Amino acid sequence: MSRDQILANLRTSLNANRPWLLNEASRAPHEPPPFVLPPENDLAAQFAAELTKLEGKAYRVPNADEALAVIDRLIEETQASSIISWDLDQIGLPGLAELLTARGITLADTTARGEERKARLQALEPIPLCISGVELAIAESGSLLLRHGPGKPRIASLLAPCHIAIVFAHQLVRGLGEALSLLAQRYGDEVFGPTSNLTFITGPSRTADIEMTLSLGIHGPPQIHVIIVEG
Amino acid sequence: MSQTIAFYDRVDHALHDNSLQTALQRATTRFISNRAGAIGALSDADRLRDQARAIRAYALAHLDELLPKLAANVEARGGHVCWASDGEEARRYIIELAQARGVRSIVKSKSMASEEIHLNEALEHAGFEVVETDLGEYIIQLAGETPSHIIAPAIHKTREQVSELFVKHLGMTPTTEVPPMIRTARQALRQRFLQADMGISGVNFGVADSGAIVIVENEGNARLSTTVPRIHVAIMGIERIVARMIDLGVMLQVLARSATGQKLSVYTSLISGPARPGEADGPEEFHLVLLDNGRSRILGGHYAESLLCIRCGACLNACPVYQAIGGHAYGGVYSGPIGAILTPLLQPDLPDAYLLPQASSLCGACQEVCPVRIAIPDMLLRHRADAVKAGKVNPIEKLAIAGYTMTMTHPAIYNASGKAARFFSRIAARKGRFRHLPPPLHLWTKQRDFPAPPPKSFRELWAERNKQR
Repeated sequence: MSRDQILANLRTSLNANRPWLLNEASRAPHEPPPFVLPPENDLAAQFAAELTKLEGKAYRVPNADEALAVIDRLIEETQASSIISWDLDQIGLPGLAELLTARGITLADTTARGEERKARLQALEPIPLCISGVELAIAESGSLLLRHGPGKPRIASLLAPCHIAIVFAHQLVRGLGEALSLLAQRYGDEVFGPTSNLTFITGPSRTADIEMTLSLGIHGPPQIHVIIVEG
Repeated sequence: MSQTIAFYDRVDHALHDNSLQTALQRATTRFISNRAGAIGALSDADRLRDQARAIRAYALAHLDELLPKLAANVEARGGHVCWASDGEEARRYIIELAQARGVRSIVKSKSMASEEIHLNEALEHAGFEVVETDLGEYIIQLAGETPSHIIAPAIHKTREQVSELFVKHLGMTPTTEVPPMIRTARQALRQRFLQADMGISGVNFGVADSGAIVIVENEGNARLSTTVPRIHVAIMGIERIVARMIDLGVMLQVLARSATGQKLSVYTSLISGPARPGEADGPEEFHLVLLDNGRSRILGGHYAESLLCIRCGACLNACPVYQAIGGHAYGGVYSGPIGAILTPLLQPDLPDAYLLPQASSLCGACQEVCPVRIAIPDMLLRHRADAVKAGKVNPIEKLAIAGYTMTMTHPAIYNASGKAARFFSRIAARKGRFRHLPPPLHLWTKQRDFPAPPPKSFRELWAERNKQR
């Protein structure tokens, strides 16, 4: 069996080189630093600055109403009549359901499993807008961490050309190391219990594959709007 | 002299390809400055790289425990694991799986391991439609070529060449503007995703403690490949593992910065098994192919350190030889300094693989930028020594080395030949360099200039100085 053969080879090989490798492994601590850049005081400002550098849009708003105003404007701009969204209670923005109803926006059925997978995804493809919440946001890289799962579909940050993400100030952390520690603290071994997928998103989809020219939106959303609710 | 050695021909070809030279210069310059900026901004870059090396070394030291642990955790989450000793086993597993599940169309996101085992050809031969979805990979697939750079596979293509391909294959209206090309590719590939039954991805890191694989990308094609089709197959070289999820706090930081100068790549996906019950989307099946293909043996030899590599491509950009000849000239899947080490090990059937370690000035720029500090020049030298031991020596080179030894050990010959060389350089050198030398020395000057000796030797200068005193 290949498994046994591979493992046997590995053991033979490690008989020769394990001491050297262990010595190399002991030359530095393995625990990641909580953050890697000189710390800044205002995490929301740092996040917004980083995302802006990546050509994403960041909005710092004092309360839910101001957040709704931004969403309203984006609905208008994208002329959406339907959106791909997380369950609204998973996003947790008060008044969002009322806004969508008032604008006549329907929440698209995101169930894309089983027999209907292809047909459903094909039907979702033309929708111009998607909305999600986040698990955490990382200030020093302008990144979002999405922990998917029931009520939190992956396609709500992927399929449409415009992605809105709602971040609450308490979800901001300084660095990636801190984000991973927090994740372990919150969920322990069950990080992957309810979902098979965690995704870090850092700015809009991009490529430089044609003559190193930066282009946005080759596959994922060319537009990402992150609304930080600070109140 | 039978100078039909393919490697030299490819080098010659690359050096005379003007558009390739422009593209290489543009790309490597950009990558180098982006990387330097991102690494330079770190509070303690040296420490982070030391940590990255230590984490990778730990993972290799425990590979015999961590791989079974990864496999068990993937299976506990409802995924399947294939242990493949070589490319043949990996290909067979994937083809049989696709046949059993009635797959017709397959989308792929970038995977060096799948290039290594020539998976696309095998799948197409078995009758499946396979589409590369990374833009660069898609472009070279349309052109019928292979990647020329780990991170930027199509850097050798000009926008005019890309435009021509899209006009021909996708019915695009002719243009030399990049944005309409991007829109054309997005639309064409989006339909491929929606029709696909299987998505195949590579793996940047396997995470043993959580049974997850990590995929790092900027475009979103890997997210689509691992979300839209009902089956996800991931192919991972067995060495690409870390022990704990928390290790990613170091590894992702050095990978993104070394590869493209980003703080984090646009999308970093952590995937553990298939979609859970209750999830609205995601694949129904997840298969992880653990590819050995020689790695378990390399781990025991004096090239084990090369298995620390995280495939960032920083050493390619930094290498003056890569900057001059690009990736295709290397002939294997992996190019640049790390490719010159890996290709003779992973693709030993390539007849001129043993020559690749010669394509280095041993300047050390590769080791300087390596995020896990691999001693690349040392291993290139070992390869050279191994090739000599294996009798792969050019007879002229052997003669030249014998002559060199003779000269360097006999002061009279050394002096005489120095004089001769200086006389010759007055006649033939231009701006302190020989552009062309007579046979057999033309083999050298065919690919690079040779510095002419200065007008006076050190011995002569020394003698004059003593006289003046």
